[in-house]
Amino acid sequence: MSTAERLSEQPLTRRQREFEWDFTKGVEAYECWDEIVVGESAEAQNTFEVRVEDILAFNRSCLETDAASNDPDDPVPHPLFLVMVTFYCIGTGIGSWIRTPGARNPGQRIEMFEDFRPGEVITATITHHDKWIRRDKHYMMDLVELHNQSGVLKAHWYVQLLLPPTRELMAQFADA
Amino acid sequence: MTQSISFSDLSIGDEFPSITVEVTQDVIDLAALAHLDFNPVHTDIDWAERAQVFGTPKTVAHGMFTMSGMASLVTRHWRDRGAVVVGIEAKLTRPVPVGSSVTTTGRIKELHPRRPGEHIVVVGVEAIDQDGHTVGIGDVRVRLAS
Repeated sequence: MSTAERLSEQPLTRRQREFEWDFTKGVEAYECWDEIVVGESAEAQNTFEVRVEDILAFNRSCLETDAASNDPDDPVPHPLFLVMVTFYCIGTGIGSWIRTPGARNPGQRIEMFEDFRPGEVITATITHHDKWIRRDKHYMMDLVELHNQSGVLKAHWYVQLLLPPTRELMAQFADA
Repeated sequence: MTQSISFSDLSIGDEFPSITVEVTQDVIDLAALAHLDFNPVHTDIDWAERAQVFGTPKTVAHGMFTMSGMASLVTRHWRDRGAVVVGIEAKLTRPVPVGSSVTTTGRIKELHPRRPGEHIVVVGVEAIDQDGHTVGIGDVRVRLAS
């Protein structure tokens, strides 16, 4: 069974059905560690309209079984719901290095200021915050700031990964 | 309604009931779909075997799934008692291959008295695999209503 066939067996939201499931596709257009300029900042490719089904799907993935997390009308979002928002907003635009095959996650720092609510439209501002080499590993860190349609800062996330540092290495992982 | 947590009743070292998760491919797939993170190291069983990004031929769980368990440790016991998670910072120290069993534990590490409704508690959390290896360690920052 292919990966896509297996994933299709899960209950899917509209957003999940429409999102690209193969991160090895289009890797040549992803940002690459050795080309990223620290300090660059831009609005992310996509905006995210929060839907009840998004929150329910996220809570289900966290294996939450309580009534508040699974309320079909007004579920309480899990604190890390911003992960879905961020991956969707970034898409293949600024910050696309987070999709890199071969990347590793050394840890993260997140602050949440207000719960996401159904109907909100979230925009993400992405800033290439830092990149560094330590013990032969190449670290990349972006600051992701998530605001709603009224300009309220909902959360921010210092996204950090260890990356294959060159396009050649990225391609090797994508083609593995 | 369950009674709110009172900041004055809390002490450094107070423990939370632990959470244990069996990390099946089904669990990883659900996380991939929810995070919209389809890195093949999580979802593509054949690719993971060839690439061995973490030195294992198996797919691995998302680091953010491990971190979500750290947050859940607090919300499952405190959310309906007036607590809100306002931050999380964690180091992910080892991969979690499919088939692992991960237990997350936590205890109060810091108490930050503020005005009522603004008190902050820092819960130190640790995720440990079935062999006793730490796979993640961090702090969950929580604001209390009273």
